[in-house]
Amino acid sequence: MNVLIVVGIRTLETMFVAGGIGSFLVLILTGIEDIETLLGSDDPSRKRW
Amino acid sequence: MPSSRVRIVVATSVMLTFISYWRAAAIVLNDLGSSAFYAGGIAEQAVGKAAPWFIVAVMLFSFTVRAVYVESCSMFVRGGVYRVVKEALGGTLAKISVSALMFDYILTGPISGVSAGQYIAGLINDIFTTADAHGWIPRAAHVMFNGTPHVPVNWTSVVFALLVTLYFWWQNTKGIQESSEKALRVMQITTVMVVILLAWSAITLVIKGYQPVPWPTPVNLHFNPESLGFLKNHADLPKLFGILGILMAFGHSVLAMSGEESLAQVNRELAHPKLKNLKRAAIIIAIYSFVFTGITALLFVMIIPDSVRIPVYKDNLIAGLAMYLVGPHLLRLAFRAFVVVVGFLILSGAVNTAIIGSNGVLNRVSEDGVLTDWFRHPHRRYGTSHRIINLVVLLQVFTILASHGDVYMLGEAYAFGVIWSFTFNGLAMLVLRFKYKGERGWKVPPNLYIAGYEIPIGLVSVFLVLLSTAIINLLTKSVATVAGVSFAAVFFLIFSVSERVNRRKFALAEQQMQEHFQLLQRDTVEREALSIRPGNVLVPVRDYNTLHHLKWVLERIDTREQDVVVMTARISQFGAAAYDLSMEQIFSDYEQQLFTRTVSIAESFGKHISLLVVPARDVWSAIAQTANNLESSAVVTGLSSKMTSEEQAFAIGRAWEAMPDPKRQFVLQIVHPDGKVDTFHIGPHTPSMKTEDIHLVHRLWLNITRERGLDKVHHNDILTEALTRFARDYAGRDRDEILKELRKTSRHTVTTRPIGGDGGRPESDANPSEPTGPSDENKQEPPAARPQ
Repeated sequence: MNVLIVVGIRTLETMFVAGGIGSFLVLILTGIEDIETLLGSDDPSRKRW
Repeated sequence: MPSSRVRIVVATSVMLTFISYWRAAAIVLNDLGSSAFYAGGIAEQAVGKAAPWFIVAVMLFSFTVRAVYVESCSMFVRGGVYRVVKEALGGTLAKISVSALMFDYILTGPISGVSAGQYIAGLINDIFTTADAHGWIPRAAHVMFNGTPHVPVNWTSVVFALLVTLYFWWQNTKGIQESSEKALRVMQITTVMVVILLAWSAITLVIKGYQPVPWPTPVNLHFNPESLGFLKNHADLPKLFGILGILMAFGHSVLAMSGEESLAQVNRELAHPKLKNLKRAAIIIAIYSFVFTGITALLFVMIIPDSVRIPVYKDNLIAGLAMYLVGPHLLRLAFRAFVVVVGFLILSGAVNTAIIGSNGVLNRVSEDGVLTDWFRHPHRRYGTSHRIINLVVLLQVFTILASHGDVYMLGEAYAFGVIWSFTFNGLAMLVLRFKYKGERGWKVPPNLYIAGYEIPIGLVSVFLVLLSTAIINLLTKSVATVAGVSFAAVFFLIFSVSERVNRRKFALAEQQMQEHFQLLQRDTVEREALSIRPGNVLVPVRDYNTLHHLKWVLERIDTREQDVVVMTARISQFGAAAYDLSMEQIFSDYEQQLFTRTVSIAESFGKHISLLVVPARDVWSAIAQTANNLESSAVVTGLSSKMTSEEQAFAIGRAWEAMPDPKRQFVLQIVHPDGKVDTFHIGPHTPSMKTEDIHLVHRLWLNITRERGLDKVHHNDILTEALTRFARDYAGRDRDEILKELRKTSRHTVTTRPIGGDGGRPESDANPSEPTGPSDENKQEPPAARPQ
């Protein structure tokens, strides 16, 4: 198989795996924030448009 | 020496009626939730029985894409989507990005319409089969259809999709308003269906057991020649490389998160605290879509037998799931009918959202100067951007016909638009992390700081997944790639040519505008900042051919004593209100002509006027909010070509009710082309009383004051007591009786005294500065006029 194709495929795979691991971190961290957001209260001051 | 140029104040913050995060979530879920009806079937056809795991993975990944959109919404940037992406990536990539976004928006309509048609046609055929099994089908029908009567599923879907698209084309041409109330109702009904579906499925799994869903490993992936696309001659690649196969399967399932982009569109309409509410809406959206799309995808494989799941139900899997739950056949068929009704509501809504979104994006692209303003020309009667709507619907009709009702093909093409649209947004956000130094409320975590430099690990990660998926989709979706690239190329060409034409034209227009007008930019409309006195008269204008109401005002007002503010609203429809206006967004020929005509009318009266441009989501909110902010005593408008004066007053009254406090009352006067004027009070006010009612109160007062110890009672005490009793009765058991009586009274009033009748007083003589009250006792009042 063409070396270029192999390199291309491996690059795509690396991007996907590295991105996937990082995205999992994002998921965990935003999940913690989400819980805080859902349990938090609103600022009582209301802003005009 | 003061400038002779007329000042135009351009407000740049879009005037919106704020909505709760629940409503915002409902609007987005109407788009995002609709994918549950077709994404599972498309993914399984492409990758095999393990597809539900990839749908679940995509739904989990959508939590992170949501985070990118939250960051983009927390930035304070001006201009349309083109201008914002251009700032980050430059003109060429911005045009490609907008083309991908348009492809995404335009394809939403056909796939939703055709999918709804598939559910309806499937139900019709199943009803025929059930009726036939019971012997309810006449022999003649058998002969005619060569067996059990049936409709051709794909062509029925095409016809249905065309009808829905044409219906919404006409509604959009007329200018219907997108309602968050409607979206909320649809989502409530959908939630009922989802809850029943999940509970019934759980019972089914307990009673009947389940079919295992194969793990998402390369060995369990079965790509067909279509889902291999340009790689069809290398069918062994996915298994050879392993992760490549998983990436390909992920790419075929990415459609499940289509609609996530709508989050950016509702952001601006969220009530305070904006960022917190945006996050809340995003959480609701992510959890809801994960449960609806992700869990139901697993249930399809666990419950529907392999022998029928793809061969029979591939395009209406939720209907198939309903038919394989435990319970009597007719009950399951009834539930299936409910699924079809919900599918019809949510998918038809998505067809409408597609037209509104495409129209909105192209309008803003035109304002950004990348599409000639020929497209923005308002409809002669309805004032809508009919040329853009026609173009969008034409492309959608072409797509529906070309698809022959094939949901799989439409889904593949749609996925192309979705993934590239997300990828460009991710890239723009990544670049703006370094380039944009303005206000930013929130950032995608985690972020590392090394030697003062920020490394956005989270944002880079999400972008890498999006980019790798987009690239693999280019290779594995051959039809979509050809269609998407061709579409994007055509739009890119149109944008490039338009931009060149506009550049020349803009230079000329800018020169002309600067010669005649002094443009001032203001964030919001505030009376003091605009140097306008309280008690002014607000005159909304739209069509330069119908400015008779402006003449009517100028004939009656001494502008040395009372200011006249002429306002035009730039409507940013759903799908376009993501960002505020920028001063560089050009005025169209039409707007220039409108301002020129307005000023020449004022000059012919020798009077001074102030010009104001406000961006808004709907014209009624713009009028109500501007009148409130400018402390206007009266709003004088022309009669709409598509509404009666009562309907216009009702719409403004409703917009007034939706505004936050503090609110001021004002008088609305609607001037008919024949000079007749209808007057309405907006906000709570003293109602006018019929003569006989006044006599009745007086008679009661006479009788009551004769009673011992009640000689000091006043007329208003009697009214207070009467109204208190009325409110008590209305809240109690007499409510229906009261409503019945009121209906009778109002019917009687309407038939005996026509609305807008003279009521014994010629209203056309009314001066807007001293408006007459609703002298007609029969006059219908907007909701705000009713005391609460």
